[in-house]
Amino acid sequence: MDSRIRSWFSRRKWLLVAVGLPLLIGAWWAFRPEKLWINQKVNEPAPFASSTDPQPLYTGRLEGKAHETSGRATIYKTADGKEYLRLTDFSTSNGPDVHVLLARSDDQSLKQEIVKRQLDSIELGPLKGNQGDQNYDLPASVDFQKYDAAVIYCERFHAVFGVARLEQF
Amino acid sequence: MVRKIRTVVAIAALAFTFGLQPPAHAQDSNAKTLETGTFHGKVHSTSGRATIYQGKDGNLILRLTNFKTSNGPDVHVILIAATDADDDANFLKSNTERVELGKLKGNEGDQNYAIPSGTDLSKFQTVSIYCERFNANFGAAPLEKF
Repeated sequence: MDSRIRSWFSRRKWLLVAVGLPLLIGAWWAFRPEKLWINQKVNEPAPFASSTDPQPLYTGRLEGKAHETSGRATIYKTADGKEYLRLTDFSTSNGPDVHVLLARSDDQSLKQEIVKRQLDSIELGPLKGNQGDQNYDLPASVDFQKYDAAVIYCERFHAVFGVARLEQF
Repeated sequence: MVRKIRTVVAIAALAFTFGLQPPAHAQDSNAKTLETGTFHGKVHSTSGRATIYQGKDGNLILRLTNFKTSNGPDVHVILIAATDADDDANFLKSNTERVELGKLKGNEGDQNYAIPSGTDLSKFQTVSIYCERFNANFGAAPLEKF
């Protein structure tokens, strides 16, 4: 029995090679399994790069909480190293004593519309306008890993108008 | 004669003021950032940011930054029509409208792709990293206004 199988194989060896090899090559071509281990790294410069323009570092879309709020919040760094928050296409409800803050996106207080406890935040100043593009200077060396959310916040009623989670640009 | 000189001086002054304006404009019209979004992985884990810039002469460029996906055969960068909601599909339907931007230059790192002129960005709102051979959507980035 054993010898019969062996002899079958030896007689059909060419068949195995003729069918198996193209199959293997075909499978390799289709899946290119070696690419699982081989990375192809590139590093192209930014188009229309100009080092004098402020560069965006982090950005995110504002989402409304206690009041409908929309737009984009972006943190820029100027050529001389100053950082600022810019709101664009911005719209929120007008209100009393509304401020712009940086806070932690994982802060449980931000999950609610009204903050019960002290909010761990960095104050950027009173909201300049409830509509339109506007800039807010940031204090030096803010830890954006920690304070990764821009918040429109009514101090008087502890109401979170809107939050933007900032992600790396 | 005096009147003639006055006219010439007036025209020169006008030309001077208008002549000054183009460079002042050129300063802030470097490049516009139109849209941006982050990748989420589908068939393969994919991460990073996709941003569309518009140059001074109106040309559109897609730039991928902090980008990482799995290496693979015949991978392309395409824009797909958002209405098809295919950015969350693992495999694209054959009737999904798409704009080809070229072969993926690298599975890691920053890279730029020219977008054909006349592409309707209000229609093609999602970037897909797409394996043509297997019709697989490696990952997609829905774009939003910057």
